[in-house]
Amino acid sequence: MDFLAPVINGFGVVLEPMNLLYCLIGVVIGMLIGVLPGLGPAATIAILLPLTYGVEPVTAIIMLSGIFYGAQYGGTITSVLLRLPGEASSVVTVFDGFALARQGRAGTALGIAAIGSFFGGTVAIIGLTLLAPIVAGFALDFGPPEYTALAMLGILLVATVSNGSKLKSIIAASLGLLLATVGRDTFTGEARFTFDNLSLADGLDFVPIAMGIFGLGEILYNLEERHNKVQAPAKVANVWPSRKDLKESSGAIGRGSLLGFFLGILPGGGATIASLAAYAMEKKRAKNPERFGRGAVEGVAAPESANNAAATSSFIPLLTLGIPANATMAIIFGALLIQGVTPGPQLVQNDPELFWGVVNSMYIGNILLLIMSIPLVGVFVKILRVRAAILAPITVLITLIGVYTINNSIFDIWLVIVFGLLGYLMKKFGFEPGPLVLAFVLGSLLEENLRRSLLVFGGDAAGFVTRPISGILLLVFVVVMLLPLLQKAFRKVRTTAPAVEARHHEKEKV
Amino acid sequence: MIKTTFTRRSILATGSGLALALALTACGGNVAGTSPAADASKFPAGPVTLTIGADPGGSTDLIGRALAENASGPLGAPIPVVNKPGANGALATKEVGAAKADGQTLVILNASLFAITPLAVSAGETVKIEDYEVITGISQDDYVLVSNASSGMKTMDDLTKAGKKFNFATTGVGTGSQLAQALLFKQAKIDGTDVPFDGGSPAMTALLGNQVDLATIQLAEAMPQIKAGKLNPIVVFSKERNQYLPDTPTAVEAGYDVPVSQFRAVAAPKGTPEAVVTKLRESFKKAFESEPYKAFNKQNLFTPAEIDGDQVAKDWSANAAKYKELTTKYGVDLGSGK
Repeated sequence: MDFLAPVINGFGVVLEPMNLLYCLIGVVIGMLIGVLPGLGPAATIAILLPLTYGVEPVTAIIMLSGIFYGAQYGGTITSVLLRLPGEASSVVTVFDGFALARQGRAGTALGIAAIGSFFGGTVAIIGLTLLAPIVAGFALDFGPPEYTALAMLGILLVATVSNGSKLKSIIAASLGLLLATVGRDTFTGEARFTFDNLSLADGLDFVPIAMGIFGLGEILYNLEERHNKVQAPAKVANVWPSRKDLKESSGAIGRGSLLGFFLGILPGGGATIASLAAYAMEKKRAKNPERFGRGAVEGVAAPESANNAAATSSFIPLLTLGIPANATMAIIFGALLIQGVTPGPQLVQNDPELFWGVVNSMYIGNILLLIMSIPLVGVFVKILRVRAAILAPITVLITLIGVYTINNSIFDIWLVIVFGLLGYLMKKFGFEPGPLVLAFVLGSLLEENLRRSLLVFGGDAAGFVTRPISGILLLVFVVVMLLPLLQKAFRKVRTTAPAVEARHHEKEKV
Repeated sequence: MIKTTFTRRSILATGSGLALALALTACGGNVAGTSPAADASKFPAGPVTLTIGADPGGSTDLIGRALAENASGPLGAPIPVVNKPGANGALATKEVGAAKADGQTLVILNASLFAITPLAVSAGETVKIEDYEVITGISQDDYVLVSNASSGMKTMDDLTKAGKKFNFATTGVGTGSQLAQALLFKQAKIDGTDVPFDGGSPAMTALLGNQVDLATIQLAEAMPQIKAGKLNPIVVFSKERNQYLPDTPTAVEAGYDVPVSQFRAVAAPKGTPEAVVTKLRESFKKAFESEPYKAFNKQNLFTPAEIDGDQVAKDWSANAAKYKELTTKYGVDLGSGK
């Protein structure tokens, strides 16, 4: 029982009234900033940092981490209702979430997302409790070659997430890859496609692109549609997910949570790849993959569970290795330093109360979020009853203000407008925006890590195959690529002899 | 000029949400209040904005926020912090350089942006220290060369005698981390490949995972791992030994001419009235003396370098010249973008 004693002590720490209060404050702030497009958890935590100077370190970190995972819950709301993904990790939620909202099932989508997020978060906390020290080493084995293989796999999955024409998806994805090359070359300092504009030196930012293409593009397209046919405001029914919805999505939630937990440990793009992979996996497993993108509940359940699990497991490298996995973790790292606590390999031994206090506060925080978000679903869904003529300009305004607040940059507002027009044109001509945005995110990950790997290998590409993890990932890549061909072959076999089991088996591998 | 700013802000404010509207009209009012000419006796006329050219949470941001908090009392005006990341800080720095020289808009400067980045990027993307009125130096943030403890490499001798090729991680192209290592390995005749990462944390992660052999990162980032015995500090690149790592020799002591540190300063646009600069100097001096600020420096392992503003400008120009000379002498090329 030696192991359990500090865990139980940790609960004692969380249940102190002061800590409970700060946990509640944290998750409420987190949820609010999640709903507002633009202002992200990293900036909010940095701004609120001085407020935590006066309190105990454990209390401070409980509140700051509450902001972080609370934002993951809140971010879903705008993705589903307004098609505005605030972060790269909720881009895929848009596909089915928004489709559900248009069918008047926004409540179902939000409810499933909240339940999925809760479940994903809880799975990750249990994982954090039991496995943190063991899995932490796994993050260090991921070097540039592994990220290269992971990004390649991700880009391949992009092609499978979209419906519609494969050729058009590939064109959109290529455009995304091209956009990812804008900015100062991180290896030579060379300016690429910056047109001597300093605002472009760091490349294009994800948020203005996603908000322009999904948000503004959608609004413009709808305005045009309204001229052609009068569209009644979406009917809002079944605020609660039905038993059937829950049953349909339970598997997706479980698989998404596990995938999210493991990929979230990786520093960098963990949460984004987790949500993307979870979505692609559900689509591949589904009996009717064509339902995806037209309002499949699993299409919301899987990525939402995955990104919340990933958000929680990204604490593992910070608390056990002293490595911040993303921008928000870097700020929490700073907050710990200010409190006189050094995050590093010795944290668990030196500060067990802090470690377990923070971990256990996440159980409480997730329960608080679930309790809050279920009744609030009904409130948020009412937004859809507002007439488009009123909702559209307000959404545009919130989007533009939200984008401005990230970098305090007027340039970003122009970016939203340009990408809004691009999104509108793409939609009009039948191009899916998803592949563009996802390829953009993965493109820089691929390029940087490929070049870094080649530097490390001294130019010898054989290293990608001989390293175990990157080798396996590349094997999966090849299997996924050849899968359609294999399926075709099996289908031919099936006409003579039913080979359902074999086909099923083949899918399981992915 | 003042008029137009005011009108534009008002329009924007009316259009936006209530909170933002309040914030911006307040701001607009202050701009109007300083007209017609910047009058030093009326300084500060409302909040003094401190612009930071980096994302929230990094060292530059933490320093800026700690200073703003402790200087606003002595100055008698709030000092809101505004983050405008982009181009290693060049974006924010250029913007403040072009702002009205009335002391109401300040910026935190990073020495590397003036002395090192120009060695890697094109002239259009660089800034010059002569275009600013440096109010005061702030602190010094030292770089340390580290190896993974499992490699057994502890001193420069270990490296030179290893007789192998090293992959070394840098925190990015045109940074002090890249310059320091490139110069050191060239002088020590060690064969190395420069592997740029996007900041200190990914570089350190790669070293901990044995993806690379060596890395040079900022002391505050490396310290927890050094204390835990996971990383070996080999040399620090400051001129004198670092107070937080007293047993680690400097590169200069080890016999290599590589003095590289990250210095930071706070500056106003060129042409800010002398009386305004003096008032700002006094306020920041009080902030430096305050207990919370001293404790902040200690926690984040910054060495105070509260040098007089004019001296800062001279030092940084001298550093820029020195780095240029060293890179030419040893044939070090930081980037092909210049």
